[in-house]
Amino acid sequence: MKTLIAISIITLVALALVSQLHFAHAQLAQQTSAKQYINLRAEVWNEFFRMTTAAFTVGAIVSGTMIWLVWRFRESNPKNKAPTKWEHLDDPTAGSYEEEGH
Amino acid sequence: MVLELQKPRPVWQIMFSTHHTDVGYLYLVFGIVFLFMGGVLAMIIRTHLFFPGQGVLVSDSATFNRIFTVHGLTMLFLFALPVANGIGNILVPIMVRYKDMAYPKLNAIAFWMNPVGAALLWLGFADTTWVSYAPYSIIRAPGPAADMFIFGMKILGISSILSSINFVVTIVKCKHPDLPLRRVPLFAWSMLTVSLMTIVAMPTYAAALIMMLTDRLGLSGFFNPFAGGDPIAYLHLFWFTFHPEVYIFLLPAIGMMYEIIPRFSRKPLYSQASGVFAFVMLGIIGFASWGHHMYSTGMDFTTKVVFMIGTLAAVPASGMHVFNFLATMWGGRIRFAAPMKFAVGGIALFFSAGAGGVLNSAMPLDFISHGTYWVVGHMHLFLIGTIGFGFVAMIYYMFPYITGRMYNEKLASAHFVLMFWGTVQTFFTQHLLGLEGMPRRVYDYPTEFTSWTQLNQISTIGAWMIGASFAIFLASLIYYSAKGKEANMDDPWGIGGKYYYPVEAKNPHGGHSGY
Amino acid sequence: MGHDTAEWVFVAIVIAVLCYVGVDSWIVQKEVEAVPADAEVIKVTGQQWFWSFEHADGTKEISTLHLKKDHAYLFEIYSKDVMHSFNIPDWVVFEDAVPGHTNHAWFAPNEVGTYPIQCREYCGLLHYNMRGSLVVEDDKS
Repeated sequence: MKTLIAISIITLVALALVSQLHFAHAQLAQQTSAKQYINLRAEVWNEFFRMTTAAFTVGAIVSGTMIWLVWRFRESNPKNKAPTKWEHLDDPTAGSYEEEGH
Repeated sequence: MVLELQKPRPVWQIMFSTHHTDVGYLYLVFGIVFLFMGGVLAMIIRTHLFFPGQGVLVSDSATFNRIFTVHGLTMLFLFALPVANGIGNILVPIMVRYKDMAYPKLNAIAFWMNPVGAALLWLGFADTTWVSYAPYSIIRAPGPAADMFIFGMKILGISSILSSINFVVTIVKCKHPDLPLRRVPLFAWSMLTVSLMTIVAMPTYAAALIMMLTDRLGLSGFFNPFAGGDPIAYLHLFWFTFHPEVYIFLLPAIGMMYEIIPRFSRKPLYSQASGVFAFVMLGIIGFASWGHHMYSTGMDFTTKVVFMIGTLAAVPASGMHVFNFLATMWGGRIRFAAPMKFAVGGIALFFSAGAGGVLNSAMPLDFISHGTYWVVGHMHLFLIGTIGFGFVAMIYYMFPYITGRMYNEKLASAHFVLMFWGTVQTFFTQHLLGLEGMPRRVYDYPTEFTSWTQLNQISTIGAWMIGASFAIFLASLIYYSAKGKEANMDDPWGIGGKYYYPVEAKNPHGGHSGY
Repeated sequence: MGHDTAEWVFVAIVIAVLCYVGVDSWIVQKEVEAVPADAEVIKVTGQQWFWSFEHADGTKEISTLHLKKDHAYLFEIYSKDVMHSFNIPDWVVFEDAVPGHTNHAWFAPNEVGTYPIQCREYCGLLHYNMRGSLVVEDDKS
């Protein structure tokens, strides 16, 4: 869990930095080339690709977690033979995390 | 009044009942019938767009415009709202431990307004699009279709206000005194949130509809620029109602997943408090973002920024729901029966649609995405991917309790696989079509861009898969409710533990004493 | 680690990503909304179901718009009847034509070619066919 969180944070920070560097670089390039007008469509599409990169990175983390969850905690997984600690209750969904000494 | 439950009861006894479960069944049947009627229209639309430039299925654009308008209205107001209300009617009084809804007769009246509204929408078959932007809907839309649309929406709006008042009073005033509001199950919380949102949002649209009607009659000119009015005013009134309405459609589905996921994970919910908090947050922040539908209407920079922040502010709360679901599954022992499959599939698609929504809220990307197929794909990912999956999951979950029989798990799996694959293929492809610049609500498209044709055909094939999956659904609903194996009502899926809410819905006042 | 630490971390990450999205789009939007001072005004009028254009020198065109490369153009967008949406997808030009309002969009084409113009807001019967074309030519004259 902790490593997963650490990895996600590092990825996201790296992602933010890389794209910002890219952005700053593009800005500089534009100033030096002494172009008359900003390239509107390039600006908007660059923004789009930065946003999609962010979305797909977060998406990869979340859907990766989901796929792992579904695979690991399905009841047919050999590692998952033992009943959860709430299953002895009348209604497992009515248990709580505190009483069970979590 | 308590109806003695006989088996089987004559249909008229359910139809004229005011008991909450009976009204719930009526809502459910109504919603499912219109799901298939709207679905047929969707199949016509997609099949038509498979062949560009030939008008194979629909021979003129007037008919096509009417078809997609009624498809939208049907799916939103005759499928999504009634099914949410149906499940809400069945479960909410039991969840708050009250004998019925607070106002049983009002409840039945609210339901019986729906067929009337539906008849007006379907017999009128308007071509205004479901948003019916002024001034088209005022100066150009042909009557009497557009007028019937106005009256139909009016009646459906009043119906949803009445049922919302009923839900709020039932949950807040009629819940058992021993049950503090924060312990009320999250599905009932979702119904409480959406009911409050409806009461706040819907009157605005009701007013806009009256203004539109008088404009159409030529008595006033609120939205008619040729009589001194302003179409932008209509857009504000419309989206002030219908952006919150997005959450009104969405939150019951999330609430249903909160009922299903802990059950099939054999585990308590990760956090009741964060679920309640996220519902309330969405209920409030949902009202801060309507302007993102109007970036391109000549809005100034500051207003755009305000609405962008309002839109982004809703994301953490949605994220908390996703987190809550995943954390509940974590460490459980999950039985992937049909309801759980659909619920988990729904979470995955909810997340994808939400990520697309963050992109939409970024102001410059509006130049690319607004009014294109990107928006169509995005909103259908929410509507089918989250709401559709949540509702289908809940229908499978309630099936044994409503019919007393078990559905076929293999057919349900086939339904899930086809529907999930089809949804991804159809609507992810439509995102790409939007990036290629194809406008939405078009009868035909030029064939000189081969990528448009190809993407449309891929998307249509996905839509056929969804269609096939729902054919399986319909067949198995009908067949197994009559001929299925008798379900073990205490534990239809054999996952252990007691299921209080649905069991009591089947046998009100007879079974357990509840919590 | 407490029961809800993970959730707080998750929410913090989400908020960080959203801040990034917000700031980045604020910067870009500010930049693309700044219209160059020397942009030439083109009046665009949408009506059911075609676009007409009027150049600064009074020349009028219907459906096909001829512009010069490396010039900035500011579109003044009007509508004669219902709402339309003026859109040149290849140049990311997009703004609604609202009757009773004047909306603006600008761009500076830097490539020669022919590009489709379309309507992106539902406007009735022939909405699908409300198409035109933009011809960007070399600035020889």
